[in-house]
Amino acid sequence: MADRATLERECDVFARYLAASAGDSYVKAQYVAAHEAGVVELAGTTAFQRRVVSLASSAPWSLRALDVHSRVFANGGLLRRKLVLLLAILETRAPHDVELDTPTAGSAASMFVRMAWIGVVFALLLVASTVVLAPVALLSRAGDSK
Amino acid sequence: MKRIVVVGSGASGVHFAQTALELGAHVTMLDVGRVAPSPVLPDASFARFKREHDDPAGYFLGKRFEGVLFPGAKGEYYGFPPHKGFIFASHERFSLRAQGFDPLHSFARGGLAEAWTGGAFPFHERELTDFPISAQELHASYGVVAGRIGISGAADDLARFTPVHENLSAPLALDEHSRRLEERYARERTRLNGELRTWLGRTRAAVRAEDTAGRKGCTKLGRCLWSCPREALYTPSITLRELQHDERFTYLDGRFVTRVEADDANRVRRVHVIELASGRAEALDADCVVLAAGTLASGKLFLDSLRAHAGSAPVLRGLMDNRQVLVPFVNLAMLRRRYEPDSYQYHQLALGIERDDPRHYVHGLITTLKTALIHPIVQSVPLDLRSALWIFRNAHAALGIVNVNFHDERRDECGIELEVHGDSTRLVVRYEPSREEPERMRTALSTVRRALWQLGCVVPPGMAHVRPMGASVHYAGTLPMSAERRALTTSPVGESHDISGLYFADGSTFPFLPAKNLTFTLMANADRIARHVARS
Ligand SMILES: Cc1cc2nc3c(=O)[nH]c(=O)nc-3n(C[C@H](O)[C@H](O)[C@H](O)COP(=O)(O)OP(=O)(O)OC[C@H]3O[C@@H](n4cnc5c(N)ncnc54)[C@H](O)[C@@H]3O)c2cc1C
Ligand code: SF4
Repeated sequence: MADRATLERECDVFARYLAASAGDSYVKAQYVAAHEAGVVELAGTTAFQRRVVSLASSAPWSLRALDVHSRVFANGGLLRRKLVLLLAILETRAPHDVELDTPTAGSAASMFVRMAWIGVVFALLLVASTVVLAPVALLSRAGDSK
Repeated sequence: MKRIVVVGSGASGVHFAQTALELGAHVTMLDVGRVAPSPVLPDASFARFKREHDDPAGYFLGKRFEGVLFPGAKGEYYGFPPHKGFIFASHERFSLRAQGFDPLHSFARGGLAEAWTGGAFPFHERELTDFPISAQELHASYGVVAGRIGISGAADDLARFTPVHENLSAPLALDEHSRRLEERYARERTRLNGELRTWLGRTRAAVRAEDTAGRKGCTKLGRCLWSCPREALYTPSITLRELQHDERFTYLDGRFVTRVEADDANRVRRVHVIELASGRAEALDADCVVLAAGTLASGKLFLDSLRAHAGSAPVLRGLMDNRQVLVPFVNLAMLRRRYEPDSYQYHQLALGIERDDPRHYVHGLITTLKTALIHPIVQSVPLDLRSALWIFRNAHAALGIVNVNFHDERRDECGIELEVHGDSTRLVVRYEPSREEPERMRTALSTVRRALWQLGCVVPPGMAHVRPMGASVHYAGTLPMSAERRALTTSPVGESHDISGLYFADGSTFPFLPAKNLTFTLMANADRIARHVARS
């Protein structure tokens, strides 16, 4: 398990990604507590999954692409588990609950246009992340088998 | 004086006891009786609760984060909140193995209905044709129970399937989404009733809209799933608490009943019990024992009793449960609206689909999504979480689910039996769906989809979830009532044909299971049986 400072930094970056604002000290404490309780990092966690997490927290701009990649190739993997855990904590805590769950302005029709755009970006990010992460995955697999 | 012993404080047990006490009997109730935690911030709404509770994550997700639904984990749209764990916690003395069935059982004060969603639909006369009882008598008992617990609903289009009984009180005001569905139904009624043979109306729910003596009405706190802190949503522990004021009622909790003993004439004599605090075995004399431990636990008690008496125990065939399919939908007219956190959380509407054979009626509970935890749904969207969240927050108010229920019949392939391990026994539960089930589900689900479309809603492809058998927790049928005196059946008033003086007041005695939630009928039937027992 990563140390407390690393987990708090992760929590900060991931909260901005999900809720557009950093989690307060309560959210961070819960995030760390869940890691200490051993519910996040499972026995099958690979070196590649750990690398993806550390990349995501050190380079926040890459987080969405890494999330896309994980959704398709490692939905139950470490990054997704951490993000879903944080989402669960944030939704129990005001004011994040409202931030997460308030509709944006616009019509239903414009919502469908935006959804189509989301689909296009998702596909592009999937291709890009697969190309970029392929060598990392290979190197990590070699590291795991040593 | 007759010594009546009731086993179990669930919906069946407490209504048997209440009627027997009202008719002058003395009742002793034996129960394991695990206790609920005290309500927290009882007057706070769901939103206020999150602002004011000092550890909201601990409350909603559990101290060990067991309420988090991680990706890939098996789970449903509504998970059980961690603090309701006391309801489903098993007991080391109750061993069970199941095939084709996901059983739930409870050793809580109030039993499984401490977690129910309050759906209370009376059976129609047409659905009672296999019951060797008078439909009028049961109908009168529905009225009695409704007067006790408060059932809200309306005499609307659904009344053709769910009869109107005495003491039906006015329904709760609809949330915005349900209101729009109801309005659209009014416009599309001709097509829905004619072509699709589908009717829609207010649900029947054990929730009070108004304050009444001793009970508060629903103030739309939106915390129903986390246990209504005002007790506006009925649970059996409320009745149990009231019974405890009666001096002719004795409640012995912390007791695990192991078997019933009969004499050589096959007449009930004693109940054998383990006092859980000390581990001491005790025996209580009784003239009449009423098993209301839930169909599975009552079945095990009966089989253990026969085994102790005769050296072996048979198979109890005919276990039934309602297959349920959850059909999520999106109401296009509700997109991009703010969802209503301050509203009743469970179903407010229901739909009924008529079939040529009235016993094959299909029943659907329509729940519009309000205050459930959102992460289980968001993480299931096949996108990155940020995009999934964006879509969810704009669609939240438009989401809903129809819980489609199917009838079940007694079949020999399904049942319960004992497996012997040294001195102890284990209950084995076996279930096989009928061969007609896939076709029955296919046609009904197609009707549900078309009906939803007619109501302005779309069903996302591939998202219907067929719940495993056992998940509906409507268990019945292992010792059916029969007008003939046959082994492994009961009389029309629930008395065993194998051991006289032994009664069953739970679902064990139902000879047929319509597509409706059965607990209201369990309570009404327990009231009916108690009238016979107390007067005999
Ligand atoms: C999440 C959920 C939602 C539901 N929603 C609905 C709904 O909307 N409508 C509906 O009709 N039904 C609903 N149900 C089903 C309903 O809860 C059950 O049908 C009902 O609770 C059964 O009541 P019962 O009294 O027969 O048995 P139980 O509730 O199982 O009660 C059994 C009692 O017996 C005691 N007991 C068991 N064994 C022993 C023993 N050996 N010694 C001593 N005591 C013992 C237990 O402590 C308990 O008090 C729902 C169930 C669940 C779990
Ligand atoms: S909305 Fe639910 S929790 Fe709130 S008062 Fe009504 S029944 Fe109780």
